Formats: sequence, C-alpha cells, structure tokens
Amino acid sequence: MFQYWNGYLFVALFIILGILLPVASLWVIGPLLRPNHPTQGKRTTYESGLEPFGDARVRYNARYYLFALLFVVFDVETLFLYPWAVSYKRLGMFALVEMLIFLFLLVIGLVYAWRKKVLEWT
Amino acid sequence: MTFFLNAPMIGFYIIALFILGCAVMLLSFQRVIYMALAIGGVFIGCAAIYILLGADFVGVAQLLIYAGAITILIMFAIMLTNHEAADPPHKWTVRNILSAVAAVLLGAVLLLVIRSTTWPPEVEADVNGGNSNPVAVGLALFQNYTVPFELVSLLLIVGMVGAVILARERKEDEEE
Repeated sequence: MFQYWNGYLFVALFIILGILLPVASLWVIGPLLRPNHPTQGKRTTYESGLEPFGDARVRYNARYYLFALLFVVFDVETLFLYPWAVSYKRLGMFALVEMLIFLFLLVIGLVYAWRKKVLEWT
Repeated sequence: MTFFLNAPMIGFYIIALFILGCAVMLLSFQRVIYMALAIGGVFIGCAAIYILLGADFVGVAQLLIYAGAITILIMFAIMLTNHEAADPPHKWTVRNILSAVAAVLLGAVLLLVIRSTTWPPEVEADVNGGNSNPVAVGLALFQNYTVPFELVSLLLIVGMVGAVILARERKEDEEE
C-alpha cells in the first residue's frame, strides 16, 4: 500500500509544481524583472495583429457539437482499449476476437457517419 | 507508521474541500460558462477520490471521459446557445423556499442512511488478486463479462447514430 501512495505523491508534486510555476512567473518573479510602462495600445487584447473587434463569447456553429458527440463516443472506446492492452498477454486469442468485434461495430458507426456526409465540412 | 495511515485521510480532506469549493462556485456563479468550468473542477476532484480509494482505472476514466469529454460537451452546448445573459439576481419565492426545504430533507435522509449503514470492516486482502488495477479490470471485463462488454459497443453505436440523425435533421431544416 505504501508503494501505491508513493507513486501518487509524485503526481501530487507535479500538480503543485504546475500550479506554482505560472503563479511564480506571472506574479512573483516576473514583476521584479520586467519593465512596467503600460500604455493604452499595449493594454488591448492581442488578436493576431488586427484591431480586436466583437465579443470573445460569440455563438459557434452547431455543427461543432456533432464532432464533440463523436469525440465522446470514441473517447469511451479508447478507454476500453486500455485494460485490454495491459492484460492482453494473459487473455490471449479470445480477447483479441472480442476486441475486433467491438472495434468492428464501432467502425460500422463511423462508416455510417461518413456515408451520411456528416464528416464533411460544407 | 501512523503518518502513512493518516496521509490518505489528509488527502481526502483536501480533495473533499476542493470538490465542495467547486460545487459552491458552480451554484454561485452568474454566468453559465464559469459554471461549466466549476463542474470540470468537481469531476477532477472526484477522479482524485477514486484514485485515493485505489480504483486507478475508474479515476483515469473519470478524468478522460468526464473532465475531458463531458465538460467539453457542456462547453460546446453553452457556446452554441445564447449564453451571454447572466442569471437574474436571486429571489426568495415560495417555490424556491419549498425547493430548499426539500433539498435539506433529502440531504438529511441521505446522511441518516449513510450513518446507519454498517460498512464491511476494512480488509487487508488484495481485491485485485495480485494484479495492478487496470489489469484486474481487463481480466474481469474480457473473461467474465464478455457479453456486457460487447453490448457496450452496441450502446456506443446507438449513441453515434443518434448524433448523426440529429445533425441530419438540422440540415433538412436549413433546406426548408
């Protein structure tokens, strides 16, 4: 059990480092090092060199939602691949056939989406 | 020795505080987009709880599916709709008061049930049978629960076809 927690102590350490790094560079060490002469032009939002226009929170095309839904489906599929992959040597041929059936059924869904032209951007 | 026994407890309190903080933020924010970010925090906290309980695979699944995909899905749903209007300020109507009473009652009943349940004593036996957690999940899934696993793929295909049909209906609306 001690071994188990040891591994996750490093994960916690990395999370703490990841939080501290931007905090230190933006608010603690950064202001001590950089010059600070703000003007009106410097304070505007950077928009690839153009003058910023409109609101940041615009409405997006509803077609993006379909890609998000398909992403969720394939995300779940990936999740099932992982325990199969790590226990593959112990499971053998039967599990390979099982996984091929699983993937085949999902490929049917992908082909269906493809045939219905939802993957095309028109 | 006591430190290592207590370390998970300390971790639990930190994570629980994080989850509750995110949940309170979720309820108190005025803009839906911030609420979506707060719910992402709740999901990440739940993943940490799962890992703390020794269920590595479920924890990573929670991160991958809920904190990753579901939060993005919620974000998309918000960005597709009119999300600029902030919620109107809170008012105490009769309905709100009744809802609050019902929520407190439900919480009290749940707490009572949890407190009165006799939990099995902590067993030192290795529930994973000497394997690491994902391997144990894989062995169970592909040896004992073959049919449910294949049914999952059917469920996923139904979801995918449903998404496609929804998108197609929208296309026809545009043509009309």
